[in-house]
Amino acid sequence: MSMSDAIAYTYTCPYCRMTNNDDGTPTCPRCGAPVDIRLGVSNSGWCKQPPVRDMARIRFSGSTCQISGTYVPVAEMRLHDDDWVYFSHHVLLHADVQIGLESMRMKGGWNRIMAGMPLIMMKAQGPGFVALSADHPGEILALPLEPNQAVDVVEHQFLVATGNIGYQWDKSNIWYTTRNGDDTEWHYPVGKFIDRFIAQGIPGLLLLHAPGNSFVRDLGPGERILVQPGGLIWKDPSVQMFLHFEYPRGKYWFSSARWQAKSIWLTLQGPGRIAIKSVFERPELTGNIVRNSGATTQFW
Amino acid sequence: MVSDSGWSEAPRLRDMTEFRFSNSTCQVEGELVPVAEIALAPGDAVFFEHHVMLWKEPAVPMAAMNTGGGMKRTLGGMPHILSIAQGPGRIAFSRDAAGELVVLPLHPGMELDVREHAFLIGTHSLNYSFVRIKGLTNLLHGGSGMYMDRFITQGYPGLLLLHGYGNVFQKTLQPGEKILIEPGGFLYKDSTVAMNTVQMDIKTGLMRRGMYLAEMSGPGRVGIQSMYVHHGSE
Repeated sequence: MSMSDAIAYTYTCPYCRMTNNDDGTPTCPRCGAPVDIRLGVSNSGWCKQPPVRDMARIRFSGSTCQISGTYVPVAEMRLHDDDWVYFSHHVLLHADVQIGLESMRMKGGWNRIMAGMPLIMMKAQGPGFVALSADHPGEILALPLEPNQAVDVVEHQFLVATGNIGYQWDKSNIWYTTRNGDDTEWHYPVGKFIDRFIAQGIPGLLLLHAPGNSFVRDLGPGERILVQPGGLIWKDPSVQMFLHFEYPRGKYWFSSARWQAKSIWLTLQGPGRIAIKSVFERPELTGNIVRNSGATTQFW
Repeated sequence: MVSDSGWSEAPRLRDMTEFRFSNSTCQVEGELVPVAEIALAPGDAVFFEHHVMLWKEPAVPMAAMNTGGGMKRTLGGMPHILSIAQGPGRIAFSRDAAGELVVLPLHPGMELDVREHAFLIGTHSLNYSFVRIKGLTNLLHGGSGMYMDRFITQGYPGLLLLHGYGNVFQKTLQPGEKILIEPGGFLYKDSTVAMNTVQMDIKTGLMRRGMYLAEMSGPGRVGIQSMYVHHGSE
């Protein structure tokens, strides 16, 4: 086979960035993204990640994952004897009776309870089928990870990961406090903790679920963008994040801008990839900010 | 559309899909939160829970259908009285949630069990009853409530419309074949399918042990929905 033939039979998926052999399947075998549609990039540079096609198959290790459904998609895994996956027990939809289900204890239990994160994960060992659903209208995002590749994921987006993907979590270090009388209230706009997933030894597959539609973009070194804190899904670890407060010009009969009428943004600074979703928690009205984890401020 | 493990998707009803039953027609409108619009012919009727009615022509007569077992149904959180709309005229129904309509034509002599609050309408030729979910474990941990709706056809075929939250999938179990499903995901089953709640010996929290799943044993069809309330954690 000549070099030109080799090039002709491989392609790089624009969404997961993995190089695949073009075997004629209509979807990327690593992340399920359609391969025969034009890359949709908005004028501002956001690339809409198309939903994984109904019944698309994703391959990992000796197993496959099939995504079925469109409104509330289901990830149906056909696990090989040697493969296992882990997930939070409340996303389990159905399982073959021969699937080995057992619990997988996580470290830092007290902090996880305080943060509302699952204390114990469930492990499913092949062979057999196990299906998972995140129980919300939205999209399943498949992130194939090369060995030692890591991603930071906002809490409660995780659906399932293959056994070789290491799971750590750390403080997000994105916070601010407000004061009401003698009470100090702590706010964590992207959650108190953030999950980090790292593929160990061999390539792995991470599935996330995001409500609404999802968009990804690359940030160049030093490039910044402001996003709604509740809209972030995942980012490369190289992307830095910190808060940004904007105080609009004007007077308000009911309040001052400093008190409530401000915008709280999350600044993301490249280099690296980021992904956001179109459904997010409405920002809460807050009082006067007393302290924060490090933020920029803009008065208009 | 059948997945590798044998679950088939409920047929996706295109916007404005129309089908007939008896002398009446049903048109399905919308896709995210679909509406079933019925053009009832004289002599035809449909029954439903009153809160799923979206609109109707003023001339469509309405009646109440006593379901029997009043206090039991009240305790079970099910409507004590169902409504019946009789033709001629138009009437429309919606479950007010994102999901799919499942159209189940029932031939004479069929029995179908449906999760409570999942049926949208049934045609007048269907016999409606309800069955108590047996077994304390099933009641407390099954996630399907105290009762299931049971629809039976006798001499004539009937039509049943269900609303499933999210996407709906169906699998036909062979005699003796078993599958474990999340109890909240159960939508419907043939009455020949046995449902038992089984406890998995798995720790699910600091103080919690034991997760409950519904074990379905064939033969017969089982329908599930992909959006549900997880019974163990909500």
